[in-house]
Amino acid sequence: MLEIKDLHSAVEGIEILKGISLTIKKGEVHAVMGPNGSGKSTLAKVLSGHPAYEVTSGEVLFQGKNLLDLSAEERSLVGIFMGFQYPVEIPGVNNAEFLRMAYNARLLNEGKDEVDPLDFDDILQEKMDMLGMEDKYKERSCNDGFSGGEKKKNEILQMAILKPVLSILDETDSGLDIDALRIVADGVNKLNGDDNALILITHYQRLLDHIKPDFVHVISGGKIIKSGGKELAHELEAQGYDWLTTAN
Amino acid sequence: MSSVIEESKNGAESAVLALHKQFLDADQPSADLLPFNKKALDIFESLKFPHRKHEMYTFVNTKVLADTSFSLKTENSVQNSFVKQHIYAGCERSHLTFVDGALCPELSDATALGTSVKIGSLIEAVKDESFKNILQKSIEQENDVFASINSAFMKQGVMVKVSRDKQVEVPLQILNVSSGGDSGPVMTVPRAYIHLEPSSELKLIVKYVGDGSNYFVNSVQDMVIEDNATLTHIQIEADSKDAWNFSKNRIFLKRDSKYLGYQTVSGTRLVRNHNEVWLNESGAEMELNGVSVLEEDEQSHQFVRVHHEVENCTSHQYFKNIINDRARASFDGTVVVNKGAQLTNSDQLINNLMLSDEGHADCKPNLMIFADDVKCAHGATVGQLDDDQLFYLKTRGLSESVAKEILTQSFARSIVQKIPFEPVVKELDETLLKKLVANNE
Repeated sequence: MLEIKDLHSAVEGIEILKGISLTIKKGEVHAVMGPNGSGKSTLAKVLSGHPAYEVTSGEVLFQGKNLLDLSAEERSLVGIFMGFQYPVEIPGVNNAEFLRMAYNARLLNEGKDEVDPLDFDDILQEKMDMLGMEDKYKERSCNDGFSGGEKKKNEILQMAILKPVLSILDETDSGLDIDALRIVADGVNKLNGDDNALILITHYQRLLDHIKPDFVHVISGGKIIKSGGKELAHELEAQGYDWLTTAN
Repeated sequence: MSSVIEESKNGAESAVLALHKQFLDADQPSADLLPFNKKALDIFESLKFPHRKHEMYTFVNTKVLADTSFSLKTENSVQNSFVKQHIYAGCERSHLTFVDGALCPELSDATALGTSVKIGSLIEAVKDESFKNILQKSIEQENDVFASINSAFMKQGVMVKVSRDKQVEVPLQILNVSSGGDSGPVMTVPRAYIHLEPSSELKLIVKYVGDGSNYFVNSVQDMVIEDNATLTHIQIEADSKDAWNFSKNRIFLKRDSKYLGYQTVSGTRLVRNHNEVWLNESGAEMELNGVSVLEEDEQSHQFVRVHHEVENCTSHQYFKNIINDRARASFDGTVVVNKGAQLTNSDQLINNLMLSDEGHADCKPNLMIFADDVKCAHGATVGQLDDDQLFYLKTRGLSESVAKEILTQSFARSIVQKIPFEPVVKELDETLLKKLVANNE
């Protein structure tokens, strides 16, 4: 589904990713871990098409097509979802309306008819019930004045609405208390199936107790320095990242 | 002052004096208001039209306006159907229509207001000693030359008085229609006196529209809000494209009273709102919100003075401007916290969203504090659309143009949504926000 080959990326002329290669298949959950400043979030931003992140060399294929040729909105339309580490507040934009617009953009792209607010409300309500979310998520402005946990829940709600093929969740767990983490993780587990894939970018092993990864990769200094199964996450939790980074 | 400026001013001012002569001769001003008209003209002569560095007109170029010789409109007519489309739902039986500043009884219906609201002309109102004093004082102490012109030419005006303890359930709409000048520019001088007696409440919607072009609406509103009363005042400026609209609101607040103001400007040649608020007794509160959506060469200028005279008063100001093309907006606002006005709580925030490189925004938020135990904040921003917000929307599959449209609309909507009268919110969603959509295409 996704093939990253020797990806290099720079921000304002400073190289941050120094050759990342990673292959992800349908139904897989990949955890990307690593110390602060290692390049984890940069990878997420490059994959989602952030204009500030320049790809200096390398290749990314998504379902056989060159992903790097697509703009951020085109990437979304072909089925890539980015869950933000810091979801952006958009005061004055009603959350339900925003979700409907995003949903309709997807439908239009697939050559289908848009849904009206009433029909969409049924779709939205079903997803909100699934994620145990209160009505306030419909009524308020998008992320405006939401707590950290509420923002992350709202990201998962968007994921549920957009039904992406590949989701990249950037530090979705950071700043969440244990209850919020459980709700978010349950939501992700419900949404993840055999036909889609998930990249979990995280600093802590804690999230991986709730969402079981098939593979764990450790990024440091802009490269993947170790890959393994979920047991690698436990080793990291017990020993920190130092044993890996100093060994290299 | 240089002699050149003096000379050119004299020309503009003598045109006003000549017009006033004509007004006295031909327009038969009321004998009760005549002394006020004359006094106001003296004040006008002493104030003179603002020069470029005038403190009150720093950001507003009034030269073209001052140099235009206006005539007064005497014949007023406007189609019933035109008026009808501008009467809001809920105000069908509670509206007063003024055409070129004169009340049109056949286009007005105030039957829903009942006996709790007294409506009359200023000629009637000056028979009341307390109003006479207010009028006299406000004319003598006038600091704005255009408001002094209004006073010099005021004829009939309107007085709205809400009786003690009456909470008026139906909103009152005042519709100011300008029929325009067919044979040259015309000036109209709407004048209102709004008086809320203790513990009363009124929701007042004042809308300005044009059924013609080439006109200058120069209005003055005096509002007295007595103890524990609440006035909600929604002002919608939707004049013709080439119109001038100057509006002065003077608001006097007594103990525990409240003024909630909302002003919207949907684009005209030149709009200037002058708001002067006196928090005169403890516990008074005021909130003033404004939004302007401007394109081409449109201009919108806000001049605000808030006077915290005593302790325990609150004032909030929140203004937003969206500026496209060569449009201009300015905000010049000062909050004066006088000695003894302890525990004042005041804030002021102005946000400008620039959609073009040629647009222009001036901001002068100002605080003058003479008390030592107060909470005051002020701020102003001028910026473009937020890149992070744009990117966020794009990652959800929305195109660049849709994302920009959403963000621009949301900028205006945060003020529009605060307006506590649904029909206005709906209308602005259509007019202001549609204007933005057109801009983006």
